[in-house]
Amino acid sequence: MSRLTLKLKSTPVNRIDLSGLAAGLAKLPAGGVERIVILSGGKPVWLGDVFTVSGTAGSDIAFEGGSDRLDGVGAGMTGGTLTVDGNVGDGAGTGMRGGRLEIRGNVGGMLASGMKGGIIHVTGSAGDFLGAVSAGHRFGMTGGNVIVDGNIGARAGDKMRRGLILARGTAGEAAGSRMIGGTIVAEGGFGPHAGQLMRRGTLIAPRVDRMLATFADCGVHDLVILRLMARGWASELGALAPKPFSPAVRRFAGDLSAIGKGEILLTIT
Amino acid sequence: MQTTGTTINGVLIDDTFAEAFGMSGTGLIITADSEKWALQCAVTLTGFGTSVIGCGAECGIDRLLSPDETPDGRPGVRVLMFGFSPDALIPQVANRVGQCVLTSPGSACYAAVDGPVAIPLGTTLRQFGDGFQTSRRVAGKRYWRVPVMDGEFVCQDKTGCVTDAVGGGNLLLLGHDRKGCLEVAESTVAAIGLVNDVITPFPGGIVRSGSKVGSKYAGMFASANDAFAPTLKGATKSELHAETACVLEIVIDGLTSKSVADAMRAGLKAIIAGGAAKGVTRVSAGNYGGKLGQHHYHLRELV
Repeated sequence: MSRLTLKLKSTPVNRIDLSGLAAGLAKLPAGGVERIVILSGGKPVWLGDVFTVSGTAGSDIAFEGGSDRLDGVGAGMTGGTLTVDGNVGDGAGTGMRGGRLEIRGNVGGMLASGMKGGIIHVTGSAGDFLGAVSAGHRFGMTGGNVIVDGNIGARAGDKMRRGLILARGTAGEAAGSRMIGGTIVAEGGFGPHAGQLMRRGTLIAPRVDRMLATFADCGVHDLVILRLMARGWASELGALAPKPFSPAVRRFAGDLSAIGKGEILLTIT
Repeated sequence: MQTTGTTINGVLIDDTFAEAFGMSGTGLIITADSEKWALQCAVTLTGFGTSVIGCGAECGIDRLLSPDETPDGRPGVRVLMFGFSPDALIPQVANRVGQCVLTSPGSACYAAVDGPVAIPLGTTLRQFGDGFQTSRRVAGKRYWRVPVMDGEFVCQDKTGCVTDAVGGGNLLLLGHDRKGCLEVAESTVAAIGLVNDVITPFPGGIVRSGSKVGSKYAGMFASANDAFAPTLKGATKSELHAETACVLEIVIDGLTSKSVADAMRAGLKAIIAGGAAKGVTRVSAGNYGGKLGQHHYHLRELV
């Protein structure tokens, strides 16, 4: 299997925008991979100016080492695997349609914004606006699965429409704000104002800090749909799936200040 | 009268064939909190689903499903429904699921057939939720959550439909003892039940009113098969031997022609194994001279 390896030549001084890498690899310029144009501090540079490139372009890409200043890693991916051994900056996996993005470190903001498909796995934590809508777009995530082993920041899933966001740790303030569909699971619990103005969709956690008054307590129920979802996640994600929890949950319907067809499900341990 | 055939283990296998027809077939998985309630739900749904002529669809239970085999991990039952066309099946599915599954405690309903044609399932039933229903996509499939009085009715959006299904595979058991003939028919249905993708839609899988096409009365599409009626042996052009006192038919519908053939093979094997001891003397099959049905299953090729 062909594999392309990228290694930073030095610690970046500017922010490096790699969002054009997927398009560059899809249509290689004359001169090969090293002549793919990326942005450094907003100015075009060649990939080979910033990274030592080895291997051949194919379905697998590996970044040996990362940096908080690497933005747009895996943006626009349609397949294959991209692995980063280290941290990355903002906008990783933006507009991703397929494939697998594996980040062995922490991630900045706007991870998976506009994501449509594929899997993102972050072994560290992620910043604010994970899977959220970006300026000029109607929706946040519309598909795919994002699994973060640590915590996630504020406003995760803002205007999210479909897909799964899983935080093994906690979710920050206002997770699922203005949500239209999809699922956010925070195994460590949600911060305050979870689900603010959500229309549809499901938030699942063992607890919520300061449940909004516009969510109505509907009592404890054994929901068949949770059995179905658990099976779907297990078959789709394997070991990355949310930890099994009892389908008996306490259901809060909301946000009743919007259309109120969303829900927060508190798992019972 | 059929005079040629092969005798195996004391049972004469007529040199004839079953004539079956192309149909459309769909399927559902029904789950519930227990096998008892999944089965209750399936039995209710498949009730009055014997013949497409009078019931709109031919329905039956394909098999029980273990929790590992169902989408939600609960006990389940796979039911199959057959009709003249996908369009004919659409109202049958909507009405039967709406009246018999939606209403049944703890039930959920999922697609059981992948086919080129989609049959609406939750697409229409969701409206029972009166605006409180919500949908959810799991592993690429859409499901509806409809609030009901014991929680939620979960229902897949659509099920599939195949248009190359087969209806009307059949076996005729002829014997000199009605009780023994029924026992053999029961064991034959049990053997066919082990074959996947087929149903035997009549009561207990057995028909005692096999029919011929047409009638002396206007408006009747089918009428008594007098050639196989033992009480008319001397009064009509009978197909029965003198000692025959009972004829029972097993009708088989399947999602594929192969599944129907497999089911007939399994049924014949059961009849040959234990038929003679209980008074079954002969096996035949119903056909219309080969001019009406696209599928012909020759008994001699199945034993």
